[in-house]
Amino acid sequence: MKTDPDVIVIGAGGGGPVIAKELGERGINVLVVEAGPWYGNKKWPEPNQNRGKAKMSSDPGDLDGSLYRNQFTRLENDMNDLVTGKFRWGSADRRRTPWYRNVPDRSFLYQSAGIGGSTVHYYANSLRAFPQAIDDEWPINYDDLIPYYEKVENTLPVEFAPTTSKEALFYYGAEKAGFPLNQTLDVTSSGYRPQPNAILPPNEHLMDPDVSLEELSHMEGCTLSGHCGQGCPYGPSLEKMAKRSTNVSYVPLAMKTGNVTFRPNTFVMKILTEDSASGKPRATGVQIRDTWTGEMEELSAGIVVMAAGCIETPRLWLNSELPHNDWVGRGMTTHYMDMVTGTFDAQTLMEILGSPSVNPFVGHTSGARLDYPGLGMIENLGESPGLSAQQAFGFSQYGYNILRGPGSDKWDQRGRLTGSELEEAMNGYKRSLTLLIVTDDEVQYQNRVELDPNIKDEHGPVPFVRYTPSEKSKKRRDQLAKVATTMLRGAGASQVHRSDLPPNYYIHIQSTMRMGFVVDSSCEAYQVQGLYIADNSVDYNALGGPNPTLTTQALATRTAELLADKYF
Amino acid sequence: MTIISTNTQEQEYTQASFQALTDAILPPDSEYAYDFPDMGVHAYIIYALDHYVSIQQQLHHTVVPLAYPTAVMLDTAAAKLVYTHQAHPSPQSHFPGGGMFSFLSRQDRIRTLAALENLYVDMYALPSPYQNNAGLVKHVTDALNRFSMFGYYSEWPAYGSTRLYPPDSRRLQFFPPGWQQVGYPGVSLGYRDFRGFLLKMGRSEVE
Repeated sequence: MKTDPDVIVIGAGGGGPVIAKELGERGINVLVVEAGPWYGNKKWPEPNQNRGKAKMSSDPGDLDGSLYRNQFTRLENDMNDLVTGKFRWGSADRRRTPWYRNVPDRSFLYQSAGIGGSTVHYYANSLRAFPQAIDDEWPINYDDLIPYYEKVENTLPVEFAPTTSKEALFYYGAEKAGFPLNQTLDVTSSGYRPQPNAILPPNEHLMDPDVSLEELSHMEGCTLSGHCGQGCPYGPSLEKMAKRSTNVSYVPLAMKTGNVTFRPNTFVMKILTEDSASGKPRATGVQIRDTWTGEMEELSAGIVVMAAGCIETPRLWLNSELPHNDWVGRGMTTHYMDMVTGTFDAQTLMEILGSPSVNPFVGHTSGARLDYPGLGMIENLGESPGLSAQQAFGFSQYGYNILRGPGSDKWDQRGRLTGSELEEAMNGYKRSLTLLIVTDDEVQYQNRVELDPNIKDEHGPVPFVRYTPSEKSKKRRDQLAKVATTMLRGAGASQVHRSDLPPNYYIHIQSTMRMGFVVDSSCEAYQVQGLYIADNSVDYNALGGPNPTLTTQALATRTAELLADKYF
Repeated sequence: MTIISTNTQEQEYTQASFQALTDAILPPDSEYAYDFPDMGVHAYIIYALDHYVSIQQQLHHTVVPLAYPTAVMLDTAAAKLVYTHQAHPSPQSHFPGGGMFSFLSRQDRIRTLAALENLYVDMYALPSPYQNNAGLVKHVTDALNRFSMFGYYSEWPAYGSTRLYPPDSRRLQFFPPGWQQVGYPGVSLGYRDFRGFLLKMGRSEVE
């Protein structure tokens, strides 16, 4: 391998490994640098304890499924804790604090550092944008995206989620509310359907009592264990793990091209540029910092791809003092969310499901959905108890139910629950169905990521993140909350709780480096030659509501093609 | 290894304050209290607050411990409610060493949290880093609820005597009591609850 790569990709999350694999297959030499640790790689047997002997890895033989399984304990505190969890936004060394972002107000910013990025804890929901959100909106058409969607869907691969009890109850509620089954990937009208998920279908022996669950967890296919959010390390080998985070899908495929190297524990401080004949600067490499030793280094490459995510990509642009652009970090969207939880009587559940409980922790964490173009979408959510409690009952802009009451006869309870209210709600956990409301929010210039003028960390001025929904987004969310409530009531829920989440629930962040404003339609920066972006930040808008990952991966696939044609 | 010492007044005060907090937010003592007299969630919150924020000051990377100033913030808000007759302290506290917040009824402690998140407090009277920092006050006040619930209903209490060790040195010592309470079976290898497919992908795959 050459010493200097042709391309440096910053970030190994949802987008970085995709563009790396596509470029690698074209014979282009790629180095992917990632700020967080690498789980499931023999070169880092104790990724949270020490730096490890190696700096980087490019041999697919380094990948180790059993090591991965030991590290991903499926325990919600160990994996998901925002301060010390293996999936937090911070360095590999969990004795250290997470990396600080100034996010004022009630907020919950859910991102993960490490090879795989936030796809290690995502629910693998892999759906296409609503066509109406792309056509006549974006600088490119929906039809332009379809071949790339198909390629990613085949590579991950994407399948419709299987039905377990909670999906069966969801579909029952959707039908009672009058919605049809939507048998399509290209959604133009409202209806329900199973989630298109990047999760391998259950093994054909799953229901065979002669094959133990322990054996099944080492075989190919989803075991319905419900650990999507904890990283789910089940499968016969690392690259055959059931949940297709990029660290088990695109990363091994990229390594197999023989042209791609990944380097974890490496934080990019600055994009380096030089003046060029064209009159605008040209990317020449990056300045990096080893997160274990603090050592700084400069790496050169003719092309640099930013795939650090919607917060770090604009932060890096600003910290690198690249040319001023009014839209860098601006126009952020975040799918203004809400949650409605229905609790059912055992008798009602017996009649619908033939079982007295829903057991929300069984199956894909989010296996069913209702699409509602023009408003957004609703999906089921079955997390483990700690995550369920804090999101459904501990996080709200409404305040405390005990002090305010529900404020509407649509809901029995609203806002935060405490004391015996909380206990009662959680005692109904096994008989509950939580619906996550994901609103198509409008792009607004004032929603943003910028540099905090007063606070720095070891990587420079920290990001300051601010989002306020528009009036239109608020109305859409309220309409979806009513639809979700109608579904739960229609299915016979005896108690309905609305979380009334604060707007600053950052899960689907998009649009901070928008196509047509910061990057052109090939995702190359207008103002810096050879600098590309391959993460959610290039999205022109919030896709109409659908989860952003598949679109990011389709765009990264397309960007690789355009980049290679132009420069190689 | 970190040894948590309880012999200073400041530590006792911080502990009492967060015991009063979790006592107001979390389920009241139930039948599980017999098996698990101390879920210790207040210690989880103290750890989380003291390991939440770090910043660079000149050449030094500094951790900003938030537990103590947060306890003071709770008392400042509690005192304001008492002075304005919106909360009524009892003559003694169940949480020895605590301040005004720990003398309030459960409901008044929740009222204190609501007052703080609505910034019904003299922002200038708050300790650093909360002083005149509305965004941080709202952020941390809200986080107290989330931390309490995640501490209680996750596996954290089951780390037992290793709870406050660095995460990679913790060991589960019993089945998490919060999981037992709600009927969550814990880490699973899988479930046999496959009810078929409503749709299948239409593509022609190469096997």
